[in-house]
Amino acid sequence: MPLTFHYKQLSNGLDIVAERNPEAHSIALGLFVKTGSRDEQTNVNGVSHFLEHMMFKGSSKYTWEDVNRIFDEIGAKYNAFTTQEMTAYYANVLPEFTERALEHLSHLLRPAIRVEDFTTEKKVILEEIAMYRDDPGHRLYEKLMEEHFGRHPLSMSILGSPESIVALQRDQMAEYFQRRYGPGNMVLSVTGKFEFDEVVKLTEKYCGAWPRVDAPRQQPDPIYKQRKIDMSDAKLNRQYTMAMTPGPSAQDERRFAAHILSDVIGDSDGSRFYWALVDNAIAEEADFGFYPHDSCGSFYLAFTTDPARTEKAMTIAMAELERAKTDLNDEEVERAKNKIASGLVLQGEVPIGRMRSIGSQWIYNHEYRSLEQDMATVEAVNTDSLRQLMKDFPFDPMTIVSLGPK
Amino acid sequence: MGERFFQHTFANGLALLCERMEGMQSAGMTFLLPAGSASDPVGASGSATILSDLVLRGAGTRDSRQLTEYLDSLGLRRSASVGVHHTRFGSAAVASKVIEGLAVFADIIQRPHMPAEGFEAARDLALQALAGVDDEPRQKLMIKLREWHLPFPYGRNSMGSEEDLQKLTPEKARADHAGRYHAKGAILAIAGNIDFDNVRGVVEQQFGNWNGQTPATIATKAPPGRVHHETQDSEQTHIGIAWPSIPETDPDYYTVRMACEVLSGGMSGRLFTEVREKRGLCYSVWAGYSSLKGQGSILGYAGTSNERAQATLDCFVGELHRLSNGVTAEELSRAKIGLKASTIMQGESTSARAGAIAHDYFMRGRIRDLEEIKAAIDGVTVDQVNAYLKKHQPGPFTIVTVGPKELKLPV
Repeated sequence: MPLTFHYKQLSNGLDIVAERNPEAHSIALGLFVKTGSRDEQTNVNGVSHFLEHMMFKGSSKYTWEDVNRIFDEIGAKYNAFTTQEMTAYYANVLPEFTERALEHLSHLLRPAIRVEDFTTEKKVILEEIAMYRDDPGHRLYEKLMEEHFGRHPLSMSILGSPESIVALQRDQMAEYFQRRYGPGNMVLSVTGKFEFDEVVKLTEKYCGAWPRVDAPRQQPDPIYKQRKIDMSDAKLNRQYTMAMTPGPSAQDERRFAAHILSDVIGDSDGSRFYWALVDNAIAEEADFGFYPHDSCGSFYLAFTTDPARTEKAMTIAMAELERAKTDLNDEEVERAKNKIASGLVLQGEVPIGRMRSIGSQWIYNHEYRSLEQDMATVEAVNTDSLRQLMKDFPFDPMTIVSLGPK
Repeated sequence: MGERFFQHTFANGLALLCERMEGMQSAGMTFLLPAGSASDPVGASGSATILSDLVLRGAGTRDSRQLTEYLDSLGLRRSASVGVHHTRFGSAAVASKVIEGLAVFADIIQRPHMPAEGFEAARDLALQALAGVDDEPRQKLMIKLREWHLPFPYGRNSMGSEEDLQKLTPEKARADHAGRYHAKGAILAIAGNIDFDNVRGVVEQQFGNWNGQTPATIATKAPPGRVHHETQDSEQTHIGIAWPSIPETDPDYYTVRMACEVLSGGMSGRLFTEVREKRGLCYSVWAGYSSLKGQGSILGYAGTSNERAQATLDCFVGELHRLSNGVTAEELSRAKIGLKASTIMQGESTSARAGAIAHDYFMRGRIRDLEEIKAAIDGVTVDQVNAYLKKHQPGPFTIVTVGPKELKLPV
């Protein structure tokens, strides 16, 4: 596939990374900002995500009604998301709407944060928090991050708590915005059908005056320790269990091996966890995976069981992790690599998937990796690299959190 | 550019549909079998779901583990699910691997081992999934809304009922497989970097001898009522609203789709604007057209904290009634662009296209190209939409709620 990479830094420091695919039917544009809940002070926890909502509430030129209307007028598929480490705003449009989409995104990222909008949207955020409280998987994940990372900023909740959201003031948000949102801490990722010179010209026109920011991130070393926390909620039927243990970071070369190991141990089909836990119905679902973060990383395991089977499932899962250290075989590693390679081919055909991947990669590493490079890196991983990975990260210590009726 | 769409119906009734997509390396496959939740035998709801798991536990010359390992070695990204009309198997990868995988799907569909111990595990998993529904009130609401809105057996939960799952046996599952995994009514759609003559040859070889009669149909009966509340100690009250609409094949289909887009298309849709943006009543609120063969519905949802649930329901229903007053030219123009853009962008995913041509064929008996769909969207006028909305006011509503307290129904 004829994908080509293009890069330009504007004079104000805004990075533009672009992957052109003349076969695509659309263009995807995303502004990625290196800021998230880990960059928040405790007293404003949830501000990154709340601010993401406020971006859709208008700039000095537009009201919230204009923002929504204009996106819909150009038929955009648009949204935004906030993680612990980044916040992104994106739109996928037909190529003839490239300029309007870019202009509109540029307005999105210069928000007015009007008090009346702030007050109304606060209610929506509180509803979002309530919605997630009806989702046991989400409750479990939040608690696990909090316990596993302890005093490290990755422990901060993305949504914040009802208390922190109620207390948050408009000016605190505006101050956070000023500090974190600007060239030097963000990247525009563009994929699909476009002419790069045109994209650069338009970005200069609409984002060229944005002031640069210096937004450092604290990188304390996490302190991990073995522990197990049980949460009970009498109204639940099922037991939800999740655990975390250190793994490679988003910058670590071993992250590719970590993805392959995750597939071997925990893919939904044909993995070691599948055969040991799901095939025989001890667990309804069992997953082992990898979360690369900025400067640190985690492996996780998760399963859902009848409450009476949780202990058995945990014993089996732990035994599988130990066994993997000694008896991995070449065939299963090859199968996992084949699945990952297929996933890369499919991702390369859809602009919006590549836009997210390239934007995130730039936020973490200031690096572009072509699909061919990723394929070659995956191909080079072998059983020995996975064995070494498990020596470097021996699934210990582990934070375990369980949520169920008792 | 050569031809884009191809179709062939084999003597046994299997329909093969292909779309050749320039510039793609991959292919996506959708295999629809006439074994959906609506044709689960009476007293055996959930049987199709059990089968969709059981047939993967060994088939042809391969046992369960060999089968999975072989599909993995091809690098196939796979899925299996049960809808109202069909059991669906999907796969996607580099095109040659998807074609190679067809021989294995031929085994899975025609020659599954269906071992007794595998049956017990599949049923156990289905019972566990069912027990999890109470833990997720949003999911529970959507299941209940379909049950109370659609006539039996279309509203049945594809996960089955505990009572029916307990009564199933390996023998009954095997008999159900023999009764419903048939060529007649099956649709195999493949889109991507493919050569039709080659695909047809492979499918002929693998599925040419597959046989079967027409599956039995189940008598329909009306849903139990139109209003239902499930008391649950949840953080939010989950509200579902549904009303009947026209089928996809009706000449007014795009008129209705446009009205739905105005109601809940993008973020400028009326529900999002009025319920969320202006009043901050909820995070999630939407309504959309839902298609079954020969019948359409509109389903809507809102989740909101308990003390604001009544206000949310009233505001939601108020917007539905306001629709009868008509839409503006600007609203219609946005609706058209949004729907056209989605349709065009679907052309970037081989899996999405395979799913779309299979759906088209099932609903209409033929594949539509992009030009036809665009023309149908462009052809809708404001007058048409408004005349339709005036004549067909939304309703009668089915209203289902899950939460701590029952709500007062709007007049």
